[in-house]
Amino acid sequence: MTKLSLQKVSVAFGGLKALEDVTMSVPAGEIRGVIGPNGAGKTTLLNVVTGVNQPDTGDVQLDGASIRGLKTSQIAARGLGRTFQTSKMFKGMTVLENVMTGLHGFLKAEPWTAALNFKRVRDEERDAAAKSRAILDFVGMRQFEDYDASDLSFGQQRVIEIARALIGEPKVLLLDEPAVGLSAVRVDELDRLLRRIRDEKGVTIVMIEHVVQLVMGVCDRITVLNSGRVIAEGGAEDVARHPAVVEAYLGRAIGAAAAAGAGHA
Amino acid sequence: MRLPLPRRAVLAAAVIGFAVLPPAGANPYFIYIANLGLVYVLLAIGLNMLIGYAGQLAFANAALFGIGAYATGLLRVDHGLPFFLAFPAGVAVATAIGVVIALPALRLRGLYLALASIAFAQFCLWAFVHWERVTYGAGGVRLPRLSFAPLPVSVEVGIYYLTLGLVVLMSWLAWNMLRSRVGRALVALRESEVAASALAIDLTRYKAYAFGVSAMFAGVAGGLFSALLGIVTPETFDLYQVVSHFAMVVVGGIGSLWGAIIGAALLVGLQEVLRAFRELQEIAFGALILFTVLFMPSGLIAFIKRFASGWDEPLRRTEGDR
Ligand SMILES: Nc1ncnc2c1ncn2[C@@H]1O[C@H](COP(=O)(O)OP(=O)(O)OP(=O)(O)O)[C@@H](O)[C@H]1O
Ligand SMILES: [Mg+2]
Repeated sequence: MTKLSLQKVSVAFGGLKALEDVTMSVPAGEIRGVIGPNGAGKTTLLNVVTGVNQPDTGDVQLDGASIRGLKTSQIAARGLGRTFQTSKMFKGMTVLENVMTGLHGFLKAEPWTAALNFKRVRDEERDAAAKSRAILDFVGMRQFEDYDASDLSFGQQRVIEIARALIGEPKVLLLDEPAVGLSAVRVDELDRLLRRIRDEKGVTIVMIEHVVQLVMGVCDRITVLNSGRVIAEGGAEDVARHPAVVEAYLGRAIGAAAAAGAGHA
Repeated sequence: MRLPLPRRAVLAAAVIGFAVLPPAGANPYFIYIANLGLVYVLLAIGLNMLIGYAGQLAFANAALFGIGAYATGLLRVDHGLPFFLAFPAGVAVATAIGVVIALPALRLRGLYLALASIAFAQFCLWAFVHWERVTYGAGGVRLPRLSFAPLPVSVEVGIYYLTLGLVVLMSWLAWNMLRSRVGRALVALRESEVAASALAIDLTRYKAYAFGVSAMFAGVAGGLFSALLGIVTPETFDLYQVVSHFAMVVVGGIGSLWGAIIGAALLVGLQEVLRAFRELQEIAFGALILFTVLFMPSGLIAFIKRFASGWDEPLRRTEGDR
């Protein structure tokens, strides 16, 4: 069953065609990799799915229903979780509060009910904290719940951001370069975490990534973008040997391009 | 080692300290200043919700304070409403106008929002002075004397306790709001709009909430202020008023409820010490803002947290917290 699909999606910024006729569909339970050189349109792809950018033409569907034209917050509420290429942890909040923010759509408090300290607000807060601690346990970060975002390493922040997106029980989780700047050991941990998210939580994952070790290891299929177009799609082996892909990376090994990409956040 | 100076005890002591001033025979002027300080606590909390928590750099607070004061006063003078009806109606007017100005403000960010809101403040000031048919113009509007009969208190003491009661109540309301999903949504909005909306937070709705809540606080402060002074005059709500509210929030601690309270109390005290020299007040406030921004960007509250335990609050981590 198809979880997420794009049909002939095009996005232009002025004269620049960031995405052109992009069609792809991600079946339930898959971990899909999206790779491509810098500026290929990968982040734009996530932005158009999440409603940050509107497609000029084409349609985006989640679970078979069009989500085109909805507000980002509405799309999120329908089951799209997301992390960003640069860290977007909320500073000032503790790790626990950050993760609890991910539950926003499930909670009911309004300014007046919260202000008057209604019992149902207190109850939902207690449940939200418990749920958030459980998710922190799941990603192995429970011991950091009282830390401020800025006390965490870059890699730890990325994991918390994944937890924050995951707690909203997304159908599809979109990750924009989650491994950027991570050491090899951390990349291994991330690899395991992504598999557990798919297997234990049943979440479909679309991951933009330059780090070859992760993309090749964990992704079921890979979509390759270049200059806004899909130039190849398939298993890791096939994609790596695909002539268009080799050409897109100017004949270099994908690893070399990846190394260049990894430095670019 | 931090001092065991738990927040509950300090707050209880502060409330009791304020409450016993009249029976302890404090002189009327001192009570008036204490009352003024409490009014500014409301203003600072409201502004902090908007600027400090929601991150919306808007300076309409002084104007909404004025609108609350004028609406309460004029409903009494022109329509003969008793204070206890005019006051909530005035608060409703200020809140409604706060939400209405939020609508264009929703499209503005950062510097543009700051400029637009200052323009709004100046426009209101102009209207207070020149819309004479309604506002009675530059001379202001003199209000009838209040009465708290049949309660056995003088007008001054009655207003004082009313203000104290509302400060306690509204601090509690603000505190509750901040520790729910509402507070988290406001801070998320401040930190990253795109990340907040990716977590299903409706930006428009929460910006409107932030503007409405801060306008409500300003409206309550305005209504009380009109009763306290017995006259509403336009120049009260000038740029100096804008700067004072901002100074209170910054000096006390941006994005800290207790910081706003401390900042308001401190600056009203300072203002009184410098009462005879208005230019000096402005310089002192400017200097204090500058000093805080340069050397104490998290405000006085961070300093307190460093030396006293038990001052943790939701949505605010500073170096002082551990
Ligand atoms: N909001 C925008 N306005 C104008 N141009 C944009 C905007 N967002 C992206 N672009 C342009 O669209 C193209 C695709 O950008 P995008 O961020 O999607 O690339 P990417 O594949 O994510 O690259 P990277 O690997 O560097 O992150 C780039 O040329 C970029 O400059
Ligand atoms: Mg990108």
